[in-house]
Formats: sequence, C-alpha cells, structure tokens
Amino acid sequence: MPRNALAVTAMRWWLGLIVSCCALFAAAPATAADAPKAPPGDAVADYWREVRQGVPGLSQVPGAERGVMINARGETWRQQRNGPLKRYGGMVLLAMLGIIVLFYLVKGPMKLSEPPTGRKIQRFTPFERFVHWGTAITFILMGLTGLAILFGRTVLGPLIGTDGLGGLLALGKLVHNYLGPLFLAFTILLIFAFVRDNVWQKCDGEWIAKAGGMFSSGAHVPSGRFNFGEKTWFWLGVTFLGLFVAGTGLLLNFPALIDRTRDLMQNLVLLHAIGAVLLLALSFGHIYMGTVGVEGALDSMKTGEVDETWAREHHALWYEDVKAGRSGRP
Amino acid sequence: MARMKFLCDAERCIECNACVTACKNEHEVQWGVNRRRVVTINDGEPTEKSLSVACMHCTDAPCSAVCPVDCFYTTEDGVVLHNKDACIGCGYCLFACPFGAPQFPQDGAFGERGKMDKCTFCAGGPEEDNSPAERAKYGRNRLAEGKLPLCAEMCSTKALLAGDANEVSDIFRERVVARGSNRGAWGQNLQFNPLGGGKG
Repeated sequence: MPRNALAVTAMRWWLGLIVSCCALFAAAPATAADAPKAPPGDAVADYWREVRQGVPGLSQVPGAERGVMINARGETWRQQRNGPLKRYGGMVLLAMLGIIVLFYLVKGPMKLSEPPTGRKIQRFTPFERFVHWGTAITFILMGLTGLAILFGRTVLGPLIGTDGLGGLLALGKLVHNYLGPLFLAFTILLIFAFVRDNVWQKCDGEWIAKAGGMFSSGAHVPSGRFNFGEKTWFWLGVTFLGLFVAGTGLLLNFPALIDRTRDLMQNLVLLHAIGAVLLLALSFGHIYMGTVGVEGALDSMKTGEVDETWAREHHALWYEDVKAGRSGRP
Repeated sequence: MARMKFLCDAERCIECNACVTACKNEHEVQWGVNRRRVVTINDGEPTEKSLSVACMHCTDAPCSAVCPVDCFYTTEDGVVLHNKDACIGCGYCLFACPFGAPQFPQDGAFGERGKMDKCTFCAGGPEEDNSPAERAKYGRNRLAEGKLPLCAEMCSTKALLAGDANEVSDIFRERVVARGSNRGAWGQNLQFNPLGGGKG
C-alpha cells in the first residue's frame, strides 16, 4: 500500500510538471502558428448549427416557443409570401378578371331567345336562397378583407398611407376573423342544401362534349336542375375550396386561445391564401354568370322564381320534370 | 450617424435574466409580454451556453417586409421601430422574425392579438420623444436622453453590449484578442481547447 501511494504521488508530480510545461508553451508568443485545433467532432459548431436550425433550448420567460432562439423558416416564409404568393396570386386574379371581361366583350350576356311567357315556376326555396345569400355576403366580406390583408399594402398603401391602411385593416381583420366561422357554417349548410342536385347525370356528358355550348351560338345543351358548369363550381369551388379555405382559416383563428407553432401558422397562412386565391378566381366566373352573364339568373336567386322560357332554355330537363309534376331534382 | 447594434457574448452570459427584468421594469411592459428573453442551449450539459435575445434591429427586417399595413420604420440610428396606432395585431411579424422578437398581449373576448410590442432599443416610437403617449405605448426613450438600452447598461458580466456597431465590435475584438481565440465571434471553442483557457 505505501508503495502504491508513493507511485500515485509521483504520478501527480509528473502530471503537474507536464501541465506546467503545456501552460508555458501555451503562453509563449511563438505558438501563434500552433493554433488550437477544433475538438474532434466539433461539438460547438454542431450545437450552433442546431440553434440556427431552430432546435429549441430553454428559457425562463414563459410563452410558446420562447426557448427557440432562431425561427429557422421565418425568412423563407417572408420570401414565399412576398414573392410567389403575391406575384402569382395577383396574376391569377387579374387574368381571371381579364378573361371574363374579354368573354363579355366578345360573347356578351346570354339573352333569352324567345320572349318570356310571364308564367313563373319556383327554382329556389326560401331556405336555399337564405343559405345562398348568407354564404355570398360572408364570402364577399371575407374576400375583400382577405385581399386587403394580402395586397392592401401594395395597392392601397400608396393611396391612403400607413395610418389609413391601419384603420381599414384593423376593422378588416375583425371582420375577417369573426365572420370566418360564420362563412364556414353557411358553406356547410349550402353543401347540404344543394348536394343532391349536383350528382352526375347523363346529360352532363353531353354538356362536357359541347363545352356547355360556350362556343356555339344560341344552342343550349339540355341540363337538369344544375348544368355541369354549376356542378363544377359546387364541387370544386364551394365544397372543396370553400371547406379548405374556411377550415385553414378556422385553424388560424383565435391565436391567444390556442398556442400554435410559428411553422404551423406559416404553412396555414400560405395554404389559406393559395386556396382563397383559387376560390376567388372561380367565384369571379360564378358571379359573372349569376349577374350580367345570364339574363334572369340573378332574379332566380332574388325571387326564387324563373320564367318558363328561361327554365326551358337553360335547364330543359329540369323544366320538363317540373312541368310533369316531379321535383326536378336528380 | 451611429448604427445601433446588440451583441451578446455567449462566453459571458450567465443566464441571470436581469436584462429581461430590467427591460420589463424600465418600459412598464404589458402583462404577458417580455421584450427580451434569455435562451439556454444544452442546459446542464458541458456545452451549455446562454444568450440574451430581443429584436436585433435587422437592416433588411423581415417583420417590416411582411407587415400588411407597413407600420415599421428604421430610424437614422438603424433602430427598427413600429407604429402601434397602425398595427392590427395579425402576428405576421412574429412568423417572419428570425429571433421571435414581436410579442402580443392578449386582447378582446376571443383571444384576439393586441397590438404588437417589441424591443425598441430604448428608442420609443413615432410620437414626440418622451411624451406621455410615447411612454405609454413604447416605454421610455433612453436614446433621446443620451443613454443606451438599460438591458446592456446594467448587464453584470457585460455579456450584453449595445451601442454603435463600431464601438461594440471594438470591445468584442479586444475580448477575442485577450482570449486568444482565432475563430468565431462567439469565442466558443476556447473552453474545449486543450491548450488554452488556463485550465492546463
């Protein structure tokens, strides 16, 4: 045992001497060339890289993601939103408007080819009209406020300035956030109200083959209560895009009630905006056809009734069905 | 003009959170909002490091770029400030900010975001310097009084530096020379360097 103790003491002396020498060498000015090498695996570089990639640490400050030092995707999101989203989104909307204006100038509104009979038949029930206009009004408010949030700074900013934009959008954000859930509720009601009229019918094939009679003058393709164009709007616009946009909007809503990560919010904002731009573009077509594009279309949703001539020309199969005493629904 | 910058020295920050407290007190920041926070990476590990983080007053600020109402502006001193009267509390600045600086008080019945609040580099807002309105919305305007941000002024280890970018980098350069580290503004490799740091 004493021998072991002695050996240990000796080793301590030796170690001390080695360490002192190292310290001397380290302190010598000539060691500039012997710059310290990075430790194996470079743990330090690794963890700063992790910080940069958004790996969370710890913070005593309470709140969501307070321990995340760097929000890794923030700048990318900025580039995506301010770049492609605004550029292509704006182009899609303007292109759609342009196509509709061009179509109006070339083809003009679709007028009845025969004089109205004066005999009215019911096309929409009061419930259907209530649901339609509820969806339409909330949709238009959501669309206008949403467009102002995405494009307001570019389009209105130079005209009304930061304070004007702030006042307008403070109201706009309230409208958008609080009417959003109502729009979702109306959309769901609308789907239930019209889903059984929008199933596939044999006449839809003919409608597709003739492209809805868009390029032939005067000749109407016979259709049921709704033609294939209307059915496309129902499934693609109202059902798919409507639920998608309203759903992502609901997930974005009420920020202080539910803590969501910034990554999730970034993705939701982008998806919500892409869906909304596509829905708006499709809605331009629907709004055009429902107002100036087709004579008598707006009246049908305003009063719920259409003239028999209108019914026979636009929805021949539905008209025959109703005249035969059936519901006219597929 | 000066170009104001923060710099936090990871070799010195001891995670005392005094900068957080000082800021909150100096500006009487709303409930639930902290303009500054200390983040500790690898807590309890040999590689533990802490840094104090707030708005870093970016030259090309992402918050400003995504703001739907364009309420941000950069002062002559390079400080990024915002106009709370125009802010609509949409949260986009928080989604875009690399540092998580923008914070929102909860406001309204359905968890609506209130007007954004963030570090002002103790430079207030668009209102008249140190007016009651400015003080209520943005806190004290120390820059207008010829003082630097309080978080850095009272940092006990002088880990957090604030001021003109040239002076801040001069101070940090001296530290780098004294440490003998030839690498990295963080100076972080020193403690793992078998020949340096006086550890033998």
